[in-house]
Amino acid sequence: MILPKFEYKKARTIEEALEIYSQYNGEAFYLAGGTDLVPLLKHRLFNPKVVIDIKGIEELKTITKKGGNLLVGPNATLYELKGTPEIQEKLPCLFQSLDATSCETLQMRGTIGGNIMQNTRCLQYNKSLEWRTARGFCYKMGGKTCNVVLNAKACYSNYCGDNAPSLMTVDAKARIVGPTGERTIKVEKLFSGDGKEPFTVKPGEILKGIIIPLKETKGAYEKLTVRGSIDYPLVGVAVTIKDGSAKVGVTGIGPCPRVYELKEVNEKEINNIADKAYEDAKPVLNAVLTPAYRKKMVGVLIKRAFKRIEKGGSR
Amino acid sequence: MKTVKVTINVNNEKIKLQVKPYETLLETLRERLALTGAKEACSLGSCGSCTVLLNGTPVRSCLILTPEVDGASITTIEGLKEDGKLHPLQEAFMEKGAVQCGFCTSGMIMTAKGLLNRNKKPSRAEIIKSISSNICRCTGYKKIVEAVEEASKKMA
Repeated sequence: MILPKFEYKKARTIEEALEIYSQYNGEAFYLAGGTDLVPLLKHRLFNPKVVIDIKGIEELKTITKKGGNLLVGPNATLYELKGTPEIQEKLPCLFQSLDATSCETLQMRGTIGGNIMQNTRCLQYNKSLEWRTARGFCYKMGGKTCNVVLNAKACYSNYCGDNAPSLMTVDAKARIVGPTGERTIKVEKLFSGDGKEPFTVKPGEILKGIIIPLKETKGAYEKLTVRGSIDYPLVGVAVTIKDGSAKVGVTGIGPCPRVYELKEVNEKEINNIADKAYEDAKPVLNAVLTPAYRKKMVGVLIKRAFKRIEKGGSR
Repeated sequence: MKTVKVTINVNNEKIKLQVKPYETLLETLRERLALTGAKEACSLGSCGSCTVLLNGTPVRSCLILTPEVDGASITTIEGLKEDGKLHPLQEAFMEKGAVQCGFCTSGMIMTAKGLLNRNKKPSRAEIIKSISSNICRCTGYKKIVEAVEEASKKMA
């Protein structure tokens, strides 16, 4: 498949990247690993004038420990992050979700920033231009209504990142830098909940870092897929237990990951949360498994994750 | 559209090129350098048949723009043989019959080479995990795993 025409620019600093972005009036995309962006471009879902390579920016790729936090540059690859001793020892949930992401080769190229900021997916959206033209553009592509839920003026695409829910359960924060300055927000605040525009970041802004608190936790990540590797979650459940309370993150259903809190970890609370997450999950027929099955698996995976943590991580 | 100047080291040979800014590494290898060992199948990063080594690490060449790899060294399946002798991985794939249609083979071997670069004696589980980056629609993977095991023994 041939890429559309665009220019290529390499930025050495964040300032330079922002500068190029404004030179091209925002008709630009930042390129890190490219494992998510390149297929989108090949499908002609976006037609930027320029692609700005930010891999050369040194400060975006470091992983450092500072004051009880792990500061992760968004250009750190998933594989590098998976090999970080602090994550292996203290954050089992994040380690497992990193390990479950796609496959080793793509983990070595794909970055954590790109994984968090990946666009939402849908069987009707991630298709070639010819396919989509023949079908008629959906709401997310600028058409009038959704192609899955007929006549709906909304987008039901799924957010398929494996690692954002894990980061949410360990209270990670994201630092964002853009033309108007810098801000730090909770990872869950990155998501707008709207499938058409899934992120709250403004045009031109760059994810500058991820701040992960390093505390002793127990955790597990459960993922429903049809294949063993190279697959997006059809449902993903991240669970982290810390100081007797727990957080549960759910991904793969709907345009944003959701997070739930358990004040105590006992069977009643776990069942309550599993029921609540089941209620909240509103899958539609836009992935390879049926909505009813995916909805049911949300509760199942939550209980399964807690059970696995109880058994000390084994299945 | 302006072209981009790149210098890449392909199979230990320094090559200077003028490429399109939107050209993938796979296109450069296949169409400019006639290195057709890396195959184009899905072209979206799902299958792994275009796998080559970028500075010793396996990557999907269909997802990489050639301008991105300026200054890097690339190894393709054509660059594995030494002094006219096939690499132990290539021999093991032949001996074990780890090939049917052969379309995934170069990608499989490059992924396995990447694994052996970072882990001289991988366990069977580690081989399976690494090989699961690539899709083969014929063999069912058993013989491929056996071939990688055999090659790692030979190379030890």
